[in-house]
Amino acid sequence: MTTSKYSYYVENRTLEVTERPRKFLEAFAAVLEHGSYGIALDAYARMCSRCARCASSCQLYDTTEAARDIPIHRSELLLRVYRRYFTQGGLAKARLFGGFELSDEYLDLMAEEYYRCTACRRCTRYCPLGIDHGLITHLARWLLAEVGVIPKALVVSVREQLEGVGNTSAIPVAALKDTCEFLEEELEEQTGLDIKFPFDVEGAEYIFFPAVSDYLLEADTLMGNAAVMHVTGGSWTIGTGNFDGINYGLFYSDRMMERIVANLVAEARRINAKKILIGECGHATRSAWFIPTFAGQDSPPVVHCIQYAAQMLREGKLPLKKGKIEGRVTYHDPCNIARSGRIVEEPREILRAICEEYVDMTPNRADNYCCGGGSGTVSIDELREFRTHEAGKLKAEQIRATGANMVVAPCANCKKQLREVCEDNGLESVQITGLHDLLLKVIDFGTSASSGENAEDAKGAPEVTTEAEAKGE
Amino acid sequence: MESWLAWARGPLFWAALAFLLLGLARHVFVVGWEVVRITRRAGDGRVPYRRLAKVTLAWLFPFGKLRNRALLGVTSLVFHIAIILVPLFLAGHIALWQRGLGLSWPAIPNALADVLAIVAVVGAALLVLQRAIAKDTRAVGRFQDYSLPLFIALPFAAGFLVMHPEWNPFPYELTLLVHVLSANVLLILIPVTKLSHAVLMPGSQLITEVAWHWPASAGSKVGITLGKEGEPV
Repeated sequence: MTTSKYSYYVENRTLEVTERPRKFLEAFAAVLEHGSYGIALDAYARMCSRCARCASSCQLYDTTEAARDIPIHRSELLLRVYRRYFTQGGLAKARLFGGFELSDEYLDLMAEEYYRCTACRRCTRYCPLGIDHGLITHLARWLLAEVGVIPKALVVSVREQLEGVGNTSAIPVAALKDTCEFLEEELEEQTGLDIKFPFDVEGAEYIFFPAVSDYLLEADTLMGNAAVMHVTGGSWTIGTGNFDGINYGLFYSDRMMERIVANLVAEARRINAKKILIGECGHATRSAWFIPTFAGQDSPPVVHCIQYAAQMLREGKLPLKKGKIEGRVTYHDPCNIARSGRIVEEPREILRAICEEYVDMTPNRADNYCCGGGSGTVSIDELREFRTHEAGKLKAEQIRATGANMVVAPCANCKKQLREVCEDNGLESVQITGLHDLLLKVIDFGTSASSGENAEDAKGAPEVTTEAEAKGE
Repeated sequence: MESWLAWARGPLFWAALAFLLLGLARHVFVVGWEVVRITRRAGDGRVPYRRLAKVTLAWLFPFGKLRNRALLGVTSLVFHIAIILVPLFLAGHIALWQRGLGLSWPAIPNALADVLAIVAVVGAALLVLQRAIAKDTRAVGRFQDYSLPLFIALPFAAGFLVMHPEWNPFPYELTLLVHVLSANVLLILIPVTKLSHAVLMPGSQLITEVAWHWPASAGSKVGITLGKEGEPV
């Protein structure tokens, strides 16, 4: 079912699509008509002055120094098509002098290039003209998807979510409930409390959408979420109709994105939940921020679980043990929540409160480097070499420079990518974790089973001892 | 020569100026129209104008943005200041406006104008030089990225020589003709080349923002247009 015509696997049906240039242009025309991209394409195609500040802000170009990895070089691939086929000047020029024609080879080139950009949008912050190369990548990938070019890893997940079991990890409801029961038992063992993962609670204040893969891979993060909701008395629920915040539509198709967001809102309305609570997942958060776009301004507001936890901490509703997380801890800002500056201070407030030594990476917050696996590339295993050695190399150096033995990354994708970045760049001793994983360890549950309670010696969380310390480094 | 000069300073200048103003007005109108149309039909039409204004101002006066590529940044900033100030605030130019339309505004001292004209010419040369030297700018540079700065330098160089006949090896009238002609061509080039950023740049943050504000059913409408509404994923 797969082929390796590109650096990533695609489905065989990709190769069966005929007349791709014509179909690409038809899709382009339809998107220009119904979407809002035209205004940006028109301005970008006109005014970019090729100052290449985008290049000097791009972590990929910094590593590869290849012309293909200069953001405007890549964006120009699509702008050229736009100019040629969708502007009066371009059409007239083509009629008079001929020149550029969209071909199959050109589409293959775009298919390769637009999956080398993680759409982290760092360059946008450094462009004097505000050119958003992430937007161009976002759009180009959608147009490519309309002629069948989609990485298999992404399309298979979306198919499972929209037409299969109902979520990207294909977890049936029964299995989800089993998993949560198991996590509840774990929590009881750790805290002595009966902490619940509540299902289908009609009228709950929050309906919870984490990256569904967390149920399989990041149990500690979810236990942390449940623990925070428990001690703060939060009214929350998981909907059995839809419990997956992942939205790969953001990475390759607004058509899919719209359908996935609609399902999220439908579930919130079915449960009659007042707000949507997003778990530790960057792109799930950014997709959810598009809810008013797709479902209207009266749709339920979106709250990120870190915003909730920070608010509770400020209000004194999150009791903490005396013992703090040991070792030097740093924080990775996921692009999807930090680039716009929307969620940057809340995680730091929490980490400063719960860590013995917290240090920032440089640069940080809205200027932070991408993990190197953004925009879905982390799910494409065959791109690992590219992700960890080209896109993620600067990230590895950034982590190394902090001297931290623990990196907190509140994003399922970033966590997977950063683990691989550390593995492939000689940083095996660095531990990658979620923020709620740490909260679980420092919340004072007021029970004797809650380990480290009332610790006298500020070493209340021995289980957080890092691998580095375990190795005696 | 004199009739050429009269033509360049008269009808050609007015035509070039009209082309410039109409061209720039067209850009402003199209962007304004599009912003209104997009935000009206968007599923979420709320635009963070205050934040956008802050970012736009920070780039309009980019003194805090120079750390990334400091040399190129400073060259570019100084170059821009020079080429904006001199044409608009040279006493000789204002005198022409006064004579033609009775309009007048404060001028900069001629000595400062001299310095700025030299800055414009040297700045243009340095911009081109830096573009040719740095690997990334060279990789994305087009013909116009080299030719436009040099062409911009031309009216400034000629204008400087017009102001200083004692250093001018060329005939005065020829120099003046080159100055006026090249400036007129530049006015015409502004709206139709990347120089249009002169008027688009202050709206660029807004343009990028609204491009993410789609109509509620933009995706499904594209699907219907392409005949894919019932198609499996």
